[in-house]
Amino acid sequence: MLYQLLISGIAQGSIYALVALSLTVVYRGTTIVNFGHGDMVMAGAFVAYACVVLLGMPFAPAALAALALLFVLGWAVQRGLIEPIKAGPHIGFAMMSIAVGYVLRGTVRAGWGREVLPMPRVFDVSPLVVGDVVLTGDAIVFVGAVATFMIVFFLILYRTQLGQIVQAVFQSERGAALVGINVGAFHGATWGLGGGMAAVAGVLLAPVTLLYPDLGANFLIRGFAAMTLGGFGSLLGAVTGGLLLGMTEQLLGGYVSTKLIDIAAYLVIIAVLVLKPNGLFGRTAVVRV
Amino acid sequence: MTQLLEIDDLSVQFAGLKALTAVSLHARSGEVKAVIGPNGAGKTTLFNVITGYTQPSSGRIRFRGEEISREPPHLISQRGIRRTFQNGGLFGDITVLENVLCGLHTRTGSGFFGLLFGTRGATAAEREAVARARSLLDMMGIRDVEDRVARDLSGGQQRIVEITRAIASDPSLLLLDEPAVGLTPPARDQLVEVIRRLAGERGVGVLLVEHSIDMVMKGSDLIVVLNGGQRIAEGKPDEIRQNKEVLDAYLGYGSGYSGDSRA
Amino acid sequence: MRGKADARSLAARLGAGPWPVYCTLILALLVPLSTNQYTQFIVNLILVYVVVAVGFNIVIGNLGQLAFTSTTCFGIGAYTTAILMVHVSLPFWVALPGGAIMGAIAGVLASATALRGIRVYYLAIITLALGELMRWVYIHADTLTRGTDGLAVPVANFFGFPFDSEIKRYYLFLAIAVAVVKSTSNLLRSRIGRAIAAIRDNELATASLGIATGQYIIAAFVWSGFVVGIAGGMFALLIGRVAPESFDLTELIFHFAMVMVGGLGSLAGSVLGAITLTALPEFFRSLPGLEEMLFGVLVAVVLLFRPKGLASFFAAFLPPFRQRFCRPDS
Repeated sequence: MLYQLLISGIAQGSIYALVALSLTVVYRGTTIVNFGHGDMVMAGAFVAYACVVLLGMPFAPAALAALALLFVLGWAVQRGLIEPIKAGPHIGFAMMSIAVGYVLRGTVRAGWGREVLPMPRVFDVSPLVVGDVVLTGDAIVFVGAVATFMIVFFLILYRTQLGQIVQAVFQSERGAALVGINVGAFHGATWGLGGGMAAVAGVLLAPVTLLYPDLGANFLIRGFAAMTLGGFGSLLGAVTGGLLLGMTEQLLGGYVSTKLIDIAAYLVIIAVLVLKPNGLFGRTAVVRV
Repeated sequence: MTQLLEIDDLSVQFAGLKALTAVSLHARSGEVKAVIGPNGAGKTTLFNVITGYTQPSSGRIRFRGEEISREPPHLISQRGIRRTFQNGGLFGDITVLENVLCGLHTRTGSGFFGLLFGTRGATAAEREAVARARSLLDMMGIRDVEDRVARDLSGGQQRIVEITRAIASDPSLLLLDEPAVGLTPPARDQLVEVIRRLAGERGVGVLLVEHSIDMVMKGSDLIVVLNGGQRIAEGKPDEIRQNKEVLDAYLGYGSGYSGDSRA
Repeated sequence: MRGKADARSLAARLGAGPWPVYCTLILALLVPLSTNQYTQFIVNLILVYVVVAVGFNIVIGNLGQLAFTSTTCFGIGAYTTAILMVHVSLPFWVALPGGAIMGAIAGVLASATALRGIRVYYLAIITLALGELMRWVYIHADTLTRGTDGLAVPVANFFGFPFDSEIKRYYLFLAIAVAVVKSTSNLLRSRIGRAIAAIRDNELATASLGIATGQYIIAAFVWSGFVVGIAGGMFALLIGRVAPESFDLTELIFHFAMVMVGGLGSLAGSVLGAITLTALPEFFRSLPGLEEMLFGVLVAVVLLFRPKGLASFFAAFLPPFRQRFCRPDS
C-alpha cells in the first residue's frame, strides 16, 4: 500500500509541482505572487474543453490554442493591469490578480452556468502494473507530460542564452536593465509564461477531472503549500514541494483519515512556517538598516 | 559635561567581513563629535550597534554607566538616545505634525481604555502633546507645513522634520546619520546652528556622521576618523585637518574643501 | 470658476465641524421609514459589513500587513456566538462579546506569525491556511457546529424583549456599529493609532523612538480580531444560521475588496467600501457570473484609477474623509 500511495502522490503532486513552478517563475521574475493563477488554470482547462467539445478540434491543436490564449492573457494582464500600478503596495498587486481571477471565473460561469462538465477521454494509455502497484493511464500521462515539460524548462533555463538572460533578470533587474535587457518586455513575457504554464496544467486536467468554474482555488492553495514547503522563491523547491505535498496528502489519507486530504496543504503550510520558515531550499533575506 | 556613552574595544563582524575592529569612543553631554571616514569605514555600522540594530561581536557599550550592548532598539531609545537614518527614517504617509507626535510617544501618557473611550484625561494628554509638538515645529521653523504629508516635502525639509522628531522627547544623546545630504549650503549652515544650540543650550550630546568636511569643521567640537573599521585618529578639527594618516585615508576622495561628495 | 471654489470652501467648512456626523446619525435613525422587510435586511447586512471592514482595515490598511485574518475572526466570532447561545443557552449580550473575545484571541495567534518578521507573502499564505483550516473544523466538529448543515441561531432576546424583526435588529446593529466606529476612531487618532501607522511606514525608525513595535502589532491584530468578531456575532444574529460556506475564500475576497475600494487605512473608507460593495450586487443578482465579472472589473478600475480608494476621492474636498492620527483642532 505504501508504494501505491507514493505513486499516486507523485502523480497528483506533479500538477502541484507545475502550479508551484509557474507561481515561482512569476514571483522570481516580477516579485509578485499571482493570486489569480488558479483561475488561469481553470481557464486553460475550459478553453481546451470549448475547443474540443464545441469546435470539434482534436486535442493537440486545442491544447495549443489554450496555451497561446493564456500566454497572451498573462502578457496582457501584466502590461495593462499590473505595470500601471507598480508603484503601489503589494496588497494592490494581490488584489489586482484576484480581480483578474474573478473576471475569468465570472466569464466562465456566465458561459456555462452551474453545470459540472466532463470532457471526453483523450488519452487511451493502458495502466501499468508493477508488483502491487498500479499506475493508471492518467497518472502515466500526467507525470510523463509534466516531467517532459520540466526537463525542457530547466534545460532552456540553464543551458541556453535565453535562459541566461532570464537568470540575469531574476538576480538583478537593475543590472539586467543596464546591460540592455528590456525589463518591461521581460515582465510581460514572464506573466505570459506563467499563463502558458497554467494552461498546460489546465489542459492536462481537463480530460481527467470534472470541470467547474471554482476549481482554481484548490490548486492555488496547493501551489502555495508546495512553494512554502520547498522554499519560497526556489524553482527546485517548487517542484520538490509539489511532489512531496502530493505524497503527503496520499499518505495522510491512506494511513490516518481521508478527511485529512483536504487540509493536508494547510497543515503543511502552518507546520513549515512555524518550524522552518525557509522551507527546504529557501534563502534568508537580509535586512539592511 | 557628563560622560554619556562609553564604547570600549568594539568589534563587529559579519560572516567574514570585519565591519568594526576594536573601536573605542566616548560621547559627552553638550559636545558635538563628528565621525568621519571614507565609504565603508564602518560609520553607519557604528550607529547601528550603538542603537541596537546590529549585535556587537565583542566589546562593550555603556550608556550612563549601564551596559546596553545587547538591548533591543526600543529599549535603548527609551534611555534617552535618539537617531536619524541615512535613508529616510520619516513616516512618509502621515503628516509632519503626526511625525513629530510620534517622537513624543514615550511622553504622551494615557492607558488603552482611556484612549478607547475618549476620556477627559486622555484628550487632555493628547492636547498637551499637540501643543508641545507645535512649539517644536515653531522652533525649527517648519510650523507652516505641519499638515502636509511627509513624503510630499522636499528632501531638506524632510531632514528637518526627522531631526525635530528625534529631539521631541528631549534625548540626552542624539545620533545624526548624514543629516546634511541634499541640503543647500544655507540650509546646512542652519543645521549647524541647530546642532550647536542643541549641544550648547540643551546639553545634548551629539554624534554626527557626515561627509561634508566643511560642515564637520564648522560644526563639531571633536572629530573621530574611521577607516576600514578602525579608529585612526581623534582630535579637534584643526588637528585632524593636518593629520597625515587622515589625509592618506582620504587621498583621491576630495579632502579639505567644502562641498558634498555626493550630488 | 469662483462659484466652484466657493462651493468647495463651503463644503469644507460644513464638513469640518461635528454637524455632518449629527445629521448622518439623525438620518440613520429615520432609515426604517423608507424600507421594506427585504431592503431593511440589506441595510442590516451593510451594518455588519461596515464593522467587518472597519476591523479588517486596521490590519491591512493601518498596520499595512497583508494578513488574511478577516474570515478567520469573522467565522470564529459567528460560531462562538451561535454555540454559546445554542449549547450554553447564554443570552446574545453575553454570547456576542464572547464571540468578540474569541476573535481577539484568533488575532493574537495571527500576530504571533506576523511578529516573526517573515516575508510579505508568508504571512498572507499562513493566515489564508488558518482560515481554511477553521472552515474544515466547522465542517468536521459537527457535534458542536452541526457541520455543513449549519447551526441555527435563536432570536436575540434582551430580558424578554425579542429582536425578532429587521427593524428591531437595525437599531441594535446601528448602536453597535456606531460604538465600533467611534472607538476605532478614538484609537486611530491617538498615540496608539500613530504608532501603528508608524510601524507600517518604517518599523525600524519606529523602534528608534522608544516604541515597542511588537506590542503595537499585537494590539492592532487584537483590536481587529475583536471588532471582526463582533461583526461575526452580528452576522449570526442576522442570518439566523451559521454554516461553513459563509466563511470561505469568496467571503475573504469580499472583505478585502471592501477595504481596497473604500480606501486602505481610512476609517471613512471602510464605511464607504462596505456600503458600496454590499449594496451594489443587489442590482446584479440576476445572471450567474455577471456579479463576479463586474466585481473584478470594479476592483481593477479602482486600483488603476483611484488606488487610494473612494475615501481619497472625497477627501479632496471634504476634510472628515481624510484619515488623521491626531486631533489638531483640539
